[in-house]
Amino acid sequence: MATEKELDAFLKGVEKRAFKRSYYHVRNEESALDIVQDSMMKLAEHYGHKPVDELPMLFQRILTNSTLDWFRRQKTKNALFSHLSDFETQDEGGDFDILESLLLSTNPEQNESAQDHAQRAQTLRAIESEIQDLPARQREAFLMRYWEELDVAETASAMGCSQGSVKTHCSRAVAALAKALRIRGICL
Amino acid sequence: MKPFLINPMAQNATTAEFGARIAARLDESAQELPDHVAQRLCRARMQALSHGRQLRRQVAPVLATSGGLRWIKQDHFGFWGRASSVLPLIALLIGLMSIGILQEQQRAHEIAEVDTELLTSDLPPVAYTDPGFAQYLKAGGQD
Repeated sequence: MATEKELDAFLKGVEKRAFKRSYYHVRNEESALDIVQDSMMKLAEHYGHKPVDELPMLFQRILTNSTLDWFRRQKTKNALFSHLSDFETQDEGGDFDILESLLLSTNPEQNESAQDHAQRAQTLRAIESEIQDLPARQREAFLMRYWEELDVAETASAMGCSQGSVKTHCSRAVAALAKALRIRGICL
Repeated sequence: MKPFLINPMAQNATTAEFGARIAARLDESAQELPDHVAQRLCRARMQALSHGRQLRRQVAPVLATSGGLRWIKQDHFGFWGRASSVLPLIALLIGLMSIGILQEQQRAHEIAEVDTELLTSDLPPVAYTDPGFAQYLKAGGQD
């Protein structure tokens, strides 16, 4: 059973990645924060008694489901109150752009020149943009597999699909990203 | 970092390496979140932990007052205490068995009475198998 300290450490370790993952999906800062908060609450409420090593997969599954719930709510809301198409979101966050904020970061590496910093930020922005442009399932599989470092079986379980599908999604995502970054002239 | 040659037909190892390099870049961007986002995430984490703590506090007294775990883990009354807790069950079983025996005896007694009536009657028992006599009985004994 995870202690409160262990749960705190776990959440602290995943919260930023969880936010970015949600943001790549919903493209709205407030909504992404709400989704992460909701996921944290659910984890603490229902799975706080689970061993620490089970928390990563549980949290990924909760985050995925919370994101899907958000899309469902948006779909219903859009159907009722507007003419927006499915899964299209309105930018409630005003003119804030999280990608632009990367350029304005106040913590560049000390020995990094302004030009290097700008170039690095541009690369990050390009990568994030290409990830956002991936189909949802490919993006989900890619991020869980390579960013969250879940294995194929865990990713399949969290996504509710077969291991073969995960491999296919990942392979297609990598191919699409590689092609897009090559076109932009980005070498990793 | 050495240049990475991107090949769409890459092998699994190359794919994994590419994925890892992308993930490393994503990690960089995740560490550079604006302050207000980082603060909001911290608040959300604290809220979740507090929520979990409250739930655990609510569950603990319920278990303690209902005695759910105490009865399993602790022995307050010793052998005689536990034996006395089984007494009502034994009494119930004895009662049910007694009722069953009494009902059986009553049923046997009733059958014996009917048999006695039949055997001591002037009418021979074979008469009851005669269809004409049965019709006579149905008509109320008036012909």
